[in-house]
Amino acid sequence: MNVDKRKQLNGYHVVFLVQNVMIGTGMLSLPQDLSSMGYSLALYPLLFGVVASLNLWPMIWINSQYKNEDVFGINEKLLGKWIGKSINLFIVLHLTFFIAGIIDDYMNLIQTTALPEQSTTIPILFFLLVAIYIVSGGIKSIARFCIMAFFLTMPLLYFLRWAIEKGDISHLFPIFNFNGSQALEAFRKGYLSILGYELIMVYFPYIANQKKAYKHALIGVWISIVLCFIVTAVSVMYYSEWQLEHVTYSVLHLFKAGELTYIERIDIIGITIWVFLVLTTITGYLWCAKKGIDSFRSKNKASHVYVITIAIYLIVLMPLSKEVKEKLFEVAFHTSYFMLCWPILLIVIHLLRKKQVQT
Amino acid sequence: MKFKKFIRAIKSSENDKASSNTKQVNGADIEETIELIKKNTTQINDVVFKKIPTNEGIVTIVYSNSLVEKMTMQVMVLIPLANHLNQIHQVSEKIDPADKTEIISKLMGGQTLLYFHDNSLLLSIDTYSASTRAITNTETESTVIGPQDAFTESLQVNISLVKRRIKNPMLKNENRIIGTESNTEISLLYVEDIVNKENLEMLKNRLDKVNYPSFPDVSILKQLIEDNPLSPFPQYYMSVRPDSIVHYILDGRIAILMDNSQAAIVCPTSFMDMFISVEDYYNRWTTATLLRMLRFFGFFLTIMITPMYVSALTFHPEILPYELLLNLQESRSKVPFPPLIEVLFIELIIEVLREAGSRMPAKVGQTIGIVGGIVIGTAAVEAGLISNILIVLVATSALLSFLPPIFLMSNTSRFVRYIFILSAGLFGLFGQMLALAWLLAHLLNLSSLGTPFMTPVIPRKAGDLLDGIIRFPTAFLKGRSGISRSKKK
Repeated sequence: MNVDKRKQLNGYHVVFLVQNVMIGTGMLSLPQDLSSMGYSLALYPLLFGVVASLNLWPMIWINSQYKNEDVFGINEKLLGKWIGKSINLFIVLHLTFFIAGIIDDYMNLIQTTALPEQSTTIPILFFLLVAIYIVSGGIKSIARFCIMAFFLTMPLLYFLRWAIEKGDISHLFPIFNFNGSQALEAFRKGYLSILGYELIMVYFPYIANQKKAYKHALIGVWISIVLCFIVTAVSVMYYSEWQLEHVTYSVLHLFKAGELTYIERIDIIGITIWVFLVLTTITGYLWCAKKGIDSFRSKNKASHVYVITIAIYLIVLMPLSKEVKEKLFEVAFHTSYFMLCWPILLIVIHLLRKKQVQT
Repeated sequence: MKFKKFIRAIKSSENDKASSNTKQVNGADIEETIELIKKNTTQINDVVFKKIPTNEGIVTIVYSNSLVEKMTMQVMVLIPLANHLNQIHQVSEKIDPADKTEIISKLMGGQTLLYFHDNSLLLSIDTYSASTRAITNTETESTVIGPQDAFTESLQVNISLVKRRIKNPMLKNENRIIGTESNTEISLLYVEDIVNKENLEMLKNRLDKVNYPSFPDVSILKQLIEDNPLSPFPQYYMSVRPDSIVHYILDGRIAILMDNSQAAIVCPTSFMDMFISVEDYYNRWTTATLLRMLRFFGFFLTIMITPMYVSALTFHPEILPYELLLNLQESRSKVPFPPLIEVLFIELIIEVLREAGSRMPAKVGQTIGIVGGIVIGTAAVEAGLISNILIVLVATSALLSFLPPIFLMSNTSRFVRYIFILSAGLFGLFGQMLALAWLLAHLLNLSSLGTPFMTPVIPRKAGDLLDGIIRFPTAFLKGRSGISRSKKK
């Protein structure tokens, strides 16, 4: 039994938290996002892995300087109360829109494949209720749910079997038929699908073994990267270059290659089981947003989750045109790059203000 | 005579006390006390007052007729009083005549009070001998292999059934009284050098806080001391088999036995334990593994089969291959209801059959079972109320729900199934997966006596996996399970 109630995340919790929050809806469209690379995209996730590993380091470093503070607390300490709080509010807003974006994305997908004759209003409500239920158990409950989701969704890999059989392995050979701008374009679009590891800045104070946190987070990152690599590699084998560019949610269609005598349309089962992966992503972000409000209002209240959830529900249901919504969510997604670079800025400020803060 | 010495010894010790305690007991006080007892028990008609002349003068005996057998009375009290008075002092206990509540509670507990008028002495003899049921084999948890005896409703017999299996001085049974009205006796059984002290403390704390009038069965106590009383899932193991209780006690868990209750509860318990029957250890490991897999996956099948039918026919007919879909549609062609109503209708009929079957007298029950099962089933299909494929699915899931060795768990699976059916009716497969996500999140958040309910899924110890869904050969099963957090490995 831990004496300190906050130190509740063990090593394997960290591994699966990092791993499962990273995988969400982004993975479904990953091959399409990377399609400007042509067949060379197969190896691209490995590059993402390297970038993420490097990017992870400053986050862990700045957090290990302030062992009992999350990123919101560090902001307030380093930037002063007012600037820190406004930055925190900005981060919470970003997270809220980010979550709304993910839910909107996934629900559109559900509507097109599984529930074609229903509006998504009530399904989203129930989805959010389940998310609140998981979040109310705290970060450990989310971590446990991540472990469960991982083992439940892993069997889906089996359904790639037919795509591999029908695919052409020669597509995989790297021929480097792309130029710099194409590579950058693919990076800008595709990197969003492996976001999620940056949340470690928020739940770092809850990790029991903080010295090994980097190692555990790295294991989590690389499990996700390997999964992404498998998906992109199989897509490259199965699709032509034109299909890679034009088939939306190409990963779902990989499942359709399956031939079973007792079940057809495996993709419907695939996309509904995907709810576990989306839930882990959502609940991870939701918990962090709640922590943001907690630190903004300087008190810990369960009602903060409900406030954020209602905000998300309203954002998703806003009667805006599809284009405006997509634009909005794209902005939210791209603000994440700011979150990725933020710890580097924090480190700079930390080194400048070290003595002031510590005294 | 020894008895005189005994009286003298008691008297002298009383005189020692008297120096500090000025209250002296004399003959008049005794008469007063008897009058007081009589006043207190005027409406309790089974309390008997008898004056018996002996060598030591008149003795008044007071006992409760219904809790003391005539034979016991004869052997323990009447014969010694008439012949061997010194035997009395071997079995009796002196009590303070001023302590009215103690006297009454002893009387209500089946003890006999003896008042020696000449010596102004009050003694009590434990003559509790209410008749009990013999040890028989269990009808609710029977197994083919293994010991057949089951607990009875007597606490003493139950403790003896456990103690004759663990002949170890470290096996402790701590008795305590709970129930503000019923004063029920319970006993905590554990092996001191194996059990985890934190678990024991936590359990005792919870028992201290219990404030409930009466306990007709141990399952009421179980609901009061569970971690999450609102959950549909039982968080403590419950059984009437002494061998399975012993198995868990030796694993480092704590068992609670209650007087007048056949079952015993064990805590902490994991979700996996709910699918483990002690018979698995008597079977060969291959058979045991097969049975455990059936039970475990059966639980998830029984809550998934009929919702699957609802969501496939309501929302995703394209999931099914052409031939199967044709088959289903053909059988449903005469059915006027949507699949959700159809499934709810037949599921409720099954519930009614089950409930009626358990309430009816055994002889009628069999006939009604046949009428219900065959006549309603076939007639409903022929009348075009439900499809016959659904009958197969519902019957299978009803059978599957009875697989868990713990009956409370199979009750839970039936309740949870309705949640899944309704969510499948609302949003199809997506609703089902949401419900599954809720179920898993709920199970992951549950704890049993502070330990996660979902061990070994949330691993505490790698060795747990040897005795999980796969039961490894007995030679591998030396360690204790992680959930009991025992002191000895």
